Amino acid sequence: MRILTAFAIFGLVCLAGSADDNVARLLAAKHVQNQYLVEGRDLTVTYSIYNVGTSAALNVQLTDEGFPESDFKVKHGMPTVNWARIAPGTNVTHSIVLTPLKSGKFNFTAAELSYVPSEGAQPQIGYTSGPGEGGIMPERDYDRKFSPHILDWAAFAVMTLPSIGIPLMLWYSSNRKYRISSKAKKH
Amino acid sequence: MAFLPKLLLLFLIALPTSVFVADGPGVAMAQEQAEDVVEGEDEEDEDEAEVETESDEDAGGTETAAAETEEEEEEEEEEEPLKASPDADTTVLFTTTNTLQDQQIPATKLVRVLVGFTNKGDKDFIVESMEGAFRYPQDYSFYIQNFTTFTFNTVVQPNTQASFEYLFTAAEPFAGRPFGLTIALNYKDADGNPFLDAVFNETISVVELDEGLDGEMFFLYIFLAAAVVLLIIGGQQLMASMGKKRPAKKQVVEQGTQNQSDVDFDWIPKETVDQMNKNSPRRSPRRRAKRATGSDEK
Repeated sequence: MRILTAFAIFGLVCLAGSADDNVARLLAAKHVQNQYLVEGRDLTVTYSIYNVGTSAALNVQLTDEGFPESDFKVKHGMPTVNWARIAPGTNVTHSIVLTPLKSGKFNFTAAELSYVPSEGAQPQIGYTSGPGEGGIMPERDYDRKFSPHILDWAAFAVMTLPSIGIPLMLWYSSNRKYRISSKAKKH
Repeated sequence: MAFLPKLLLLFLIALPTSVFVADGPGVAMAQEQAEDVVEGEDEEDEDEAEVETESDEDAGGTETAAAETEEEEEEEEEEEPLKASPDADTTVLFTTTNTLQDQQIPATKLVRVLVGFTNKGDKDFIVESMEGAFRYPQDYSFYIQNFTTFTFNTVVQPNTQASFEYLFTAAEPFAGRPFGLTIALNYKDADGNPFLDAVFNETISVVELDEGLDGEMFFLYIFLAAAVVLLIIGGQQLMASMGKKRPAKKQVVEQGTQNQSDVDFDWIPKETVDQMNKNSPRRSPRRRAKRATGSDEK
């Protein structure tokens, strides 16, 4: 019995000891949600932050400096965001909508993450995953692929008009001639 | 009255010509540009193809090189396998499958793995690549499928963390079987010493997700229903024709146009019929007289 209680106390001490080095551990992913990245159209970037540690992460700050003003305009959301606390075993997501101003290849780099892993500890610097290089399509190319081509169809309709219109007109004129003559003979 | 259709005809003939003339240069330019683009794409494709073949060759080369080194190793009796650095700490998280319930991975679905890397030492680490593989669960040296290697080449400075994402999809034929899944992170320190950390190395089972309504099954059922309906209609037709007594056919004797009442004159304009009746010499006089009086009345 005494041995058992000794074991129990030992176990409790061990738990307390491990509880002391409880720290938060954040994993962060950055995703570009669009399938087609098009110049001048919305581009959604999502950040997912997971706390896989055993303690809450405090004073979490996410900063993305990977979108220079010469290449992107922020449409919705903020590239810098703060969370006071992210509880262990939970995750938060943040997304921003941008408008690419230039077409061509662009390297989507990692965003910076800073957080306090436990009460009174030094701030920890981290980086999200980087989506990597992506091609931004010129709007012209995108329209060529996906626009409804209304003007093109209108031109097509005008061009097909003679081949339908001329026979119709010939028929109509002969038909009217016949109708007039038959009416004239009846009376 | 006849002037308007002629004008319309002239307009319809003149319009396409004018459209062609007016749009001519623009259309031609667009075509040229399109051709340029297509040519450019072709060139790119060719480039890519070349790159692919080159990389294939490279891969082949490295494979043979690897095989050679393996042989050498076997001859030289085992070198130290690569290990994780004590100054690096890694954590792994499956972000798509709810932290890997019951060690299961859905087949044909993209699996995202997030790996956290912490540099606890005082030197830079360069994270080079991450690779995943399915292995035979009883013998981890037996590879079943290698997944694409992701290359990062990212520097992780001392006392910083970085996350790296790895994506893979288990093929459908693998469903329902256990596999040894290994995900390994290759990195080196500032001195160039290589390290390899197997961040995930466990036996998992690939499961098939049952989707509510499969398109193939849906159309199979529609086809079966159509076949049943067709059979019912065919059966009904058969029953109807069997049940009905066939009436004896009357012998029809062809009589030509002797019987005048049978001849249908409706399709001939009235004036023509009248004229025919007046002029026909084969008419019986009695009939002709009748018709004549009729026309007089009119």
